[in-house]
Amino acid sequence: MESFLVRYRNHLVLLTILAAQLIGLGVQVRRSRAGRNSLDPSDSAGVRLIRFWAESVVSPPERLIHGVRSGAENLWMGYLDLHRVRQQNRELEQTIGRLRLEQAALLEDARQGQRLQALLGFQQRYIYSTVAAQVFGASGSDQSRVFYIDKGSDNGLARDMAVVTADGIVGKVRDVFPHNAQVLAINDQTSGAGVLLETTRIRGILKGNASGQLEVVGVLSDERIKPGEKVVTAGGDLVFPRGLPAGVVSKVIADPDNPAYIDVMLKPAANLDRLDEVLVITSMQPRFSGQEKQDMATSEALDGAQAAAMERQIQEQQKAAQITAERLPGLIVPNLPPDQQPMNDSSPPNPISPQPPSPLHPDEFSPLPGDKVVSGVSDDGAASSIPAAARKKLAAPGTSPAESAARNPHPAGPPAGRPASNAQTQPAGQPAPRRNP
Amino acid sequence: MSFIGASFRRDIEIHRYPLLVYVLVPLAALVAQTWLPRVFGQYAYFDLPLVVTIYFALGRRSPIQGTLMGAALGLFEDALSHLAIGLNGIAKSIAGYLAASVGVRIDVENHTIRVALTFLLSLLSGAIYLFVSRFLLGLEFQWNWLGEIFKAIGNSVIVLLLFPLLDRLQIRD
Repeated sequence: MESFLVRYRNHLVLLTILAAQLIGLGVQVRRSRAGRNSLDPSDSAGVRLIRFWAESVVSPPERLIHGVRSGAENLWMGYLDLHRVRQQNRELEQTIGRLRLEQAALLEDARQGQRLQALLGFQQRYIYSTVAAQVFGASGSDQSRVFYIDKGSDNGLARDMAVVTADGIVGKVRDVFPHNAQVLAINDQTSGAGVLLETTRIRGILKGNASGQLEVVGVLSDERIKPGEKVVTAGGDLVFPRGLPAGVVSKVIADPDNPAYIDVMLKPAANLDRLDEVLVITSMQPRFSGQEKQDMATSEALDGAQAAAMERQIQEQQKAAQITAERLPGLIVPNLPPDQQPMNDSSPPNPISPQPPSPLHPDEFSPLPGDKVVSGVSDDGAASSIPAAARKKLAAPGTSPAESAARNPHPAGPPAGRPASNAQTQPAGQPAPRRNP
Repeated sequence: MSFIGASFRRDIEIHRYPLLVYVLVPLAALVAQTWLPRVFGQYAYFDLPLVVTIYFALGRRSPIQGTLMGAALGLFEDALSHLAIGLNGIAKSIAGYLAASVGVRIDVENHTIRVALTFLLSLLSGAIYLFVSRFLLGLEFQWNWLGEIFKAIGNSVIVLLLFPLLDRLQIRD
């Protein structure tokens, strides 16, 4: 007997270890009424203890690595962000002021909506409070798409709480330890969430496949489903609130098991491979949170005196900006139609006045009262404005001042020594009659 | 092919390591396996605990130690996942046992043999996982064989880099 044990000890050790593990596996598997085997969704106390030990061994070094990496990244990004943080802060303050005004306006609508919903017996589940957490590790296995976050039961987390990011849903809390929690990602095969195709309003179950891609199963074949359609949570699974983005339809394929059904493949809304910070929805209640109430109270207060003052200030700023804009030269005048804008005006920039001012010291070229101004275009194309008499004079250089005076006597008469000007109007462009000397 | 012959087995030395190496290297493999997917995303095609199991099984040439090392690392992996504890444990126990059994018979210092053995044991580990979960336990889930092949290739590449480094940690007379 002893020789048998010594001779086959390698095989015996292997068989013992395999048998022990198989028995352990058999304990963890449950048989459903439909005759299907599945893993027990809630771990037994022994299994939980093993998971807790394993997590306690692996998570400290993981957190250390994650902390060093995050610290280095934050240091670098903080340096970069410092350059623009002041301007950003100013803009954010303005945005907050504006949003408070808007919130004050929306507050009454929200209350009214809640009252109506209560009257209709419809309990809309609002996100009441969230806990921000950092992802520091994963399972490391393709068959198990879970990840670990640095918040646990000490922070108020519990099983089956929804985990989301600003982009969309991520998963749900599966197991909770005092300082950590295990989150089952939505692209795991054992995951499931009720979703709704936004345009076609078709419902289905969101889960992952073996490759970690998202797909909506249990959907009857429908030609209306096209790539690009958004998919949101339906809210019926009591985990995810209604209306959160889940993904976008990437393609539609036939279900290999049932030809009447299709699998709708999705591109996830959140980047499930690069998760850093997530939000755990710790409570969903049909009421406002304390922070929201505080914000609303501030908005209500702002709605009175401060809001009016703020509005006056904004109006004054707009008025000052308008005055400044009016004083500044501009090519576009907001009050004029496009065809009358200064930039579309083809007239000469210095318009010709119909009557030139009377000269202080008139000469032969000076226009007389009643003399019309003739416009013309010079040889070089430039517009000119000279008195008709002067033009006539220039056109007939042999004409003496006496002849001019005889032909065209002026009642007022020019002063002595001054030649009379021609009072006749000469059409523009028509040469004056030439006289013999 | 003389290095594969049975007459060669008596000349093969058994590698010995400081006790700290037996603790820290598997722990580092577990931590890296759970952390690196966050860096590589969906392209994390490797199984570092299996690579470490194969390395120590080949070096120690003891099927019992290979089985125990594989079982311990596999159970750790299972405990960190949300699946049943024991699936990876069984697969890696058998992989460790086979690696040590082969290590007794062939020269495992050769890099080509190391790479080929790791590739085959990676595929075998996946097949055992599938067999236990689907046929013994009757669990229904999809399986991605292409991903398993990529993982086997990734493990083989890691062997080329990691085994020479770990060889430096052995105690030499």
